[in-house]
Amino acid sequence: MAFKKDSVLGTMVFIISLSLVCSFMITGTAEILKERKLVKKRDEVKQFVLNAAGIANSSADFRELFTSRVQPKLVDLESGEYIEQENLLDFDSRMAAINPETSSKPKKDTAKIKSRADQIRIFEVFDAQGELTSIVMPIYGKGLWSMMYGYLAVEPDLNTIKNIVFYEHGETPGIADFVTDPDWTSLWQGKKLFDAKGKIAIKVVKGGAKAGDVHGVDGVSGATRTGVGIQKAVEFWFGVEGYQTFLHRFAKAEEK
Amino acid sequence: MSRSTSTKDILTSPIFANNPVAMQVLGVCSALAVSNSMQTALVMTLAVTFVLVFSNVIISTIRNFIPNSVRIIAQMTVIASLVIIVDMVLQDVAYELSKQLSVFVSLIITNCIIMGRAEAFAMKYPPHLAFVDAVGNAIGYGVILLGVAFVRELLGRGSLFGHEILTTVANGGWYLPNEMFTLPPSAFFLIGVMIWAINVVQSKRG
Repeated sequence: MAFKKDSVLGTMVFIISLSLVCSFMITGTAEILKERKLVKKRDEVKQFVLNAAGIANSSADFRELFTSRVQPKLVDLESGEYIEQENLLDFDSRMAAINPETSSKPKKDTAKIKSRADQIRIFEVFDAQGELTSIVMPIYGKGLWSMMYGYLAVEPDLNTIKNIVFYEHGETPGIADFVTDPDWTSLWQGKKLFDAKGKIAIKVVKGGAKAGDVHGVDGVSGATRTGVGIQKAVEFWFGVEGYQTFLHRFAKAEEK
Repeated sequence: MSRSTSTKDILTSPIFANNPVAMQVLGVCSALAVSNSMQTALVMTLAVTFVLVFSNVIISTIRNFIPNSVRIIAQMTVIASLVIIVDMVLQDVAYELSKQLSVFVSLIITNCIIMGRAEAFAMKYPPHLAFVDAVGNAIGYGVILLGVAFVRELLGRGSLFGHEILTTVANGGWYLPNEMFTLPPSAFFLIGVMIWAINVVQSKRG
């Protein structure tokens, strides 16, 4: 029987086989590029972490720098303890945050993240002498439109901010993309997260922080909600449901 | 459409005489969006060339098997798959650039040039002619895109491919960049001027 292309059966056969061929083309390409994409993803994480830690990494040796200076660690937020895990560079934080088995609903979801991973990957950064210089911790929270993802690095006193970087956001271009601008993020450097009583005190101040205010960072006009979002994200992640338990444990362990 | 089917005509007519952007006014959306610098224009041209060539050849190869009732869907499937592949490859080899091109690579799917060539040409002619036609149309698209980008980047930023040609005032030179050229409306004027120029030349030739 000759193939009747315009019959119902012929049409079905044609479309199904075409779809199959096309899907193989796409998955094939994706498979070939997969390994390279993973490497890229790792490189990106490395660069952003080094950036957050304030280590200049414009040169091509950032991979080496990362391996020698940075140690990724997995933290259980509930207990504040480190958890042993292999291959932390490929740890998928996004997946961990939405997978019901590895995440939980925050009781007070001030950062509007909906669900929070129980275990978070942080990075300990050392200087050339092997002395701890900062801890880089991921933070994220909702701005005006979008989830903003970033890293905040604190100095070993666990209070002074070393740097903050955002690596992904979907805020209004041209208005709220100052969050990735070094001019703005450098305002955070040296600010204190907590006040004398140990309460979180960092604020993004509308209209500009007063000179000498160790807890205030200038807000940007036209992007109030983005600023508020960042403040809330920091408040959440350095609050009870964030890194607080871990930070207490860490401080105690350092004293010993 | 060109009436004669000599291979040379198929290749050359879409470059000026029957230019897809200027004469058929297809694919203008992307031409406006990515023509503000030579680099993005070149990458976009390459992406469109890849998709156009492969879609034309594939569709022309299977044209005798495509059922009439679903031919547009079949064409779309092929084109969409190719665009996804281009998008993935581009994100791999030039991540920063793919960010600048943002949605416009994915939007090649809806670029009428590709649909138009598939439906008007590849469905009727054998693969080798479809290939030539695709190359001709891709060059036609590229000529307009790169031509517009040349003027826009040169006048808008004083540079070409990011290299400074006219030293701008900001860098201590004499050239004050006309920033209107970095915005999409300027591409409208430039494409308009190009259409006019091509028409004048065509009518002189008779």
